Amino acid sequence: MVKPLGALAALNEVKMKYIATVRDQEFTIDIDTDGRIQINGEPYEVDYRRLPSGGVTSLLMNHRSLAAVVEERINHWEVLIEGELYSVQVQDERAYRLSRLRLSGLGVDGEASVSSPMPGIIVAVRVSEGQAVRQGDKVIILESMKMENELRAPCDGIVTHIHVSAGANVDKDQVLIVISQDHETQGEE
Amino acid sequence: MHREDGLLVQRFDKLLIANRGEIAMRILRAAHELGIRTVAVYSDADRNSPHVRFADEAYHIGPPPARESYLVIEKIIDVARRAGAGAIHPGYGFLAEREAFAQACVDAGIVFVGPPARAIAVMGDKLMARSTVLAADVPVVPGTEPGLSDADMAAAAIKMGFPVLVKAAAGGGGKGMRPVHRAEDLTGAFESARREAKAAFGDDTVYIEKMITESRHIEIQLLADAHGNTIYLGERECSLQRRHQKLIEEAPSFVVDPDLRRRMGEVAVAAARAVDYVNAGTIEFLVDRDKNFYFLEMNTRVQVEHPVTELVTGVDIVQEQLRIARGRRLRLRQEDVQIKGWAIECRINAEDPYNNYLPSTGTITSVQLPNGPGVRIDTGVFEGNEISPYYDSMISKLICYGETRAEAVLRMRRALEEYRIMGVKTNIPFHQQMLQRHRFMSGQFDTKFVEERFSMDERGAPYALEAALLATLAAHTQTQEAAQLVAPGARDTSNWKWLSRWERLRR
Repeated sequence: MVKPLGALAALNEVKMKYIATVRDQEFTIDIDTDGRIQINGEPYEVDYRRLPSGGVTSLLMNHRSLAAVVEERINHWEVLIEGELYSVQVQDERAYRLSRLRLSGLGVDGEASVSSPMPGIIVAVRVSEGQAVRQGDKVIILESMKMENELRAPCDGIVTHIHVSAGANVDKDQVLIVISQDHETQGEE
Repeated sequence: MHREDGLLVQRFDKLLIANRGEIAMRILRAAHELGIRTVAVYSDADRNSPHVRFADEAYHIGPPPARESYLVIEKIIDVARRAGAGAIHPGYGFLAEREAFAQACVDAGIVFVGPPARAIAVMGDKLMARSTVLAADVPVVPGTEPGLSDADMAAAAIKMGFPVLVKAAAGGGGKGMRPVHRAEDLTGAFESARREAKAAFGDDTVYIEKMITESRHIEIQLLADAHGNTIYLGERECSLQRRHQKLIEEAPSFVVDPDLRRRMGEVAVAAARAVDYVNAGTIEFLVDRDKNFYFLEMNTRVQVEHPVTELVTGVDIVQEQLRIARGRRLRLRQEDVQIKGWAIECRINAEDPYNNYLPSTGTITSVQLPNGPGVRIDTGVFEGNEISPYYDSMISKLICYGETRAEAVLRMRRALEEYRIMGVKTNIPFHQQMLQRHRFMSGQFDTKFVEERFSMDERGAPYALEAALLATLAAHTQTQEAAQLVAPGARDTSNWKWLSRWERLRR
């Protein structure tokens, strides 16, 4: 028996899938149109209220009662339960996939970039705009802390932008090269 | 009445509190209970602080840095004059142990709620304090005079037995201090301690002290009136500290029996009499494994941890301070003081126990304090309060009472769970974990326990799933609400009206 989530049930929205990350643990949370909730595929009977006073949230989870304070911060949520503060990152399915792509070097719209991992000087650019590259190809040589570092293409694609040339000083996280994965789109432009 | 030593005690009806935060609140409450009108002072950072609202009058004394506000003697005296305050209570910290401030009050004809200036001066000087209490037969940690030759110090070290500490005479904060475990290491320790002392203090005089290992920090609370009556209110166990900052205090102590309490109490009274002490004060002792105790220093003020003593003796120490300053005699004789039950205090600090106790600054976004039987909380913070880098990181003191130590501990665990504060990180998880440790429960700890044998258990995240769910529900609700707010004209009522209807629907 799953009790509908009163407040949420009133809004006829589509089923949503979220991924919440807490201290390196990931939870997949599904909220369906009737407010039914599944965590990692398991159904839970959930009733929650944000009380008008003091920002307290009351959670009844399979009749277990917990009080918490939940507050939004810039990139995460803070949840305080029984003295312990949890920092939670909440992403819907799409945002989660995109952030995964970004972590693997792939961008929002089929674009990937090569960024400088540390401040340094560009020794050589080994590609030119419009050139096709394979994942793992050396694209940039960066000198930093008296060491030469090879920066490689994160995916197959076409080099669409080169923002630096040999001899340039670059900062940490500066975008050096953009690679488009999508050959079709590239062709139409 | 002016005493021979210059101390002024007389009746007053208006009190200036030269402090801020929880101790200002504590003193304000005591004064109001005695029918004394109150004057607060505040810096730019404290205009919104509760002590300003709780006082009958409040005066601005300057910018946030303490040296430009709470530490400026002339400004405080000037406010006292303008407000017509007959007395000043310094609290702890800031000007509380400045001889010049106590003297400035007396010179202005204002009662200083504390001891005579001379007692502050003597007890504030390590070597003077040591020789003064030694003359009153108070045991001190065995050691040499400063400035002896290396050969004389080595001979003294061998006589008192190893380990010993080589210490800088001008020292403090561990600088110029060297533990020595063997006679052959003495010469090297003299050299390096002198080098460090010279660099830090410009004075390379060193001396030797016996090193007391596995020691506890136990202190005796005293009250002395201006008529020569001095009593002790039992002990406080303050061994749980980190970098000389106390974190948890309790009364009584696990290791003090009635006989030891009486002996320590009588020695503490003798130490106070040696400086003609008046008002509330504390003698700190080091207690070794064999229950030998040694005078460390005297704190010539009310202490942060005074509430644990209040709870087990029933004495309101701050009210007594005010009565003593008004020239009244102590109402209690020594035989009237009884220790009943057990009290524990946890200092709640804005610091991150998971990240090397790094201070945490920010704005308090919500606070709900614990409550219920046996719980006392002394605090000066509020929602919207900015925890700034200008003042110390203590947010509040949580004090719990029980008939037994176990009951007090269980109550403290419960209260820590109830304590909700957001916006800064606090050391509440440290207290929760400490109160679960076997060593804490069995009372087996010394002053090095927190630093050397305690570390936070980082795996403890019992509510990770619930936290994930709550944050997700909050995010989901927010998205849904935003989706329902539409452009003006697209709905027949305003978004505000619609939102409030929706809010009603949710209840």
